[in-house]
Amino acid sequence: MANTADVDALDFEPDDDDLMDEDAAVDVDASSPSAAAPIPKLKSAITAGSAAALASSVPKKIKGRGFREETDAGRSNRLSGRFDSLDSDGGPGPERSIEGWIILVTGVHEEAQEDDLQNAFGEFGEIKNLHLNLDRRTGFVKGYALIEYENFEEAEKAITSMDGGELLTQAVNVDWAFSRGPFKRKNNRRRSPRGHRSRSPQRRF
Amino acid sequence: MAEEENGAAGGGEFYLRYYVGHKGKFGHEFLEFEFRPDGKLRYANNSNYKNDTMIRKEVFLTPSVLKECRRIVSDSEIMKEDDNNWPEPDRVGRQELEIVMGNEHISFTTSKIGSLMDVQTSKDPEGLRIFYYLVQFALLASSVELAW
Repeated sequence: MANTADVDALDFEPDDDDLMDEDAAVDVDASSPSAAAPIPKLKSAITAGSAAALASSVPKKIKGRGFREETDAGRSNRLSGRFDSLDSDGGPGPERSIEGWIILVTGVHEEAQEDDLQNAFGEFGEIKNLHLNLDRRTGFVKGYALIEYENFEEAEKAITSMDGGELLTQAVNVDWAFSRGPFKRKNNRRRSPRGHRSRSPQRRF
Repeated sequence: MAEEENGAAGGGEFYLRYYVGHKGKFGHEFLEFEFRPDGKLRYANNSNYKNDTMIRKEVFLTPSVLKECRRIVSDSEIMKEDDNNWPEPDRVGRQELEIVMGNEHISFTTSKIGSLMDVQTSKDPEGLRIFYYLVQFALLASSVELAW
């Protein structure tokens, strides 16, 4: 649970949150006559719910045919509107999947096998599902695995026990896979290890 | 910690969108998903062939998941590629891959790639191969995470 509080700051402005409102964004783009214009301006060339939502002031190096093509009118609609989602309040914190709780293990050794993960993570609870993705090009493990437990406590125990631990002599990180809501932008102050409400120590002369 | 976040695998924005589809006798059939910077993963699958229903799902991913996605994209070196010599989308279908990572934004389009043979015989086998495998990974990742 501690992990989910430490979200990384992302470089978009608070008022960009409006762009994350798909309905508002779709209306703007769908009705805009410039939506079909093949201008490689990031906001107008790209569909409403997507890169436009970044709205970062950092200029980007752009590349690719997609910028030169006319925007397909349907594109702005495909990823907008109502989507089925897990029932959640949108706040921070881990989210369960339909059948259990899924954790993400990263830094998995490329020669690891399912058995290795089973051995390392099986002691925290019964593993309902285990996905150890292979890199189809190399045949080795892609470097991450998804593990599902039935109970929150089991998953949490796996995280606190194994995060920063080792698997086949290689360091792994373990965290929740799903969250109940979007990342919140972290106040700069919170980068202080003492927390953003810390007071500086009293001066002593 | 903040310092090591800056770099290809770390800080800055991350956004990935993938689309594959075609317009045929069954209408517009497509699959598309999107990893957004705030962690939302959206997935839409419209296959009229099945029974005319569109599947649309979304879920929020943790920063750890996005960080891993970013690492895999970075390792693939797709950001260094260009779709100049890739086959253009055609009547059979099209694929779109759009990625924002740090201060780079790529938006590639190409036709459907049926097999590695298509990759091998293309004008840019190296680049297409990178694209092909990255797409394989992204499809797998999104389908696993949405397997509910």
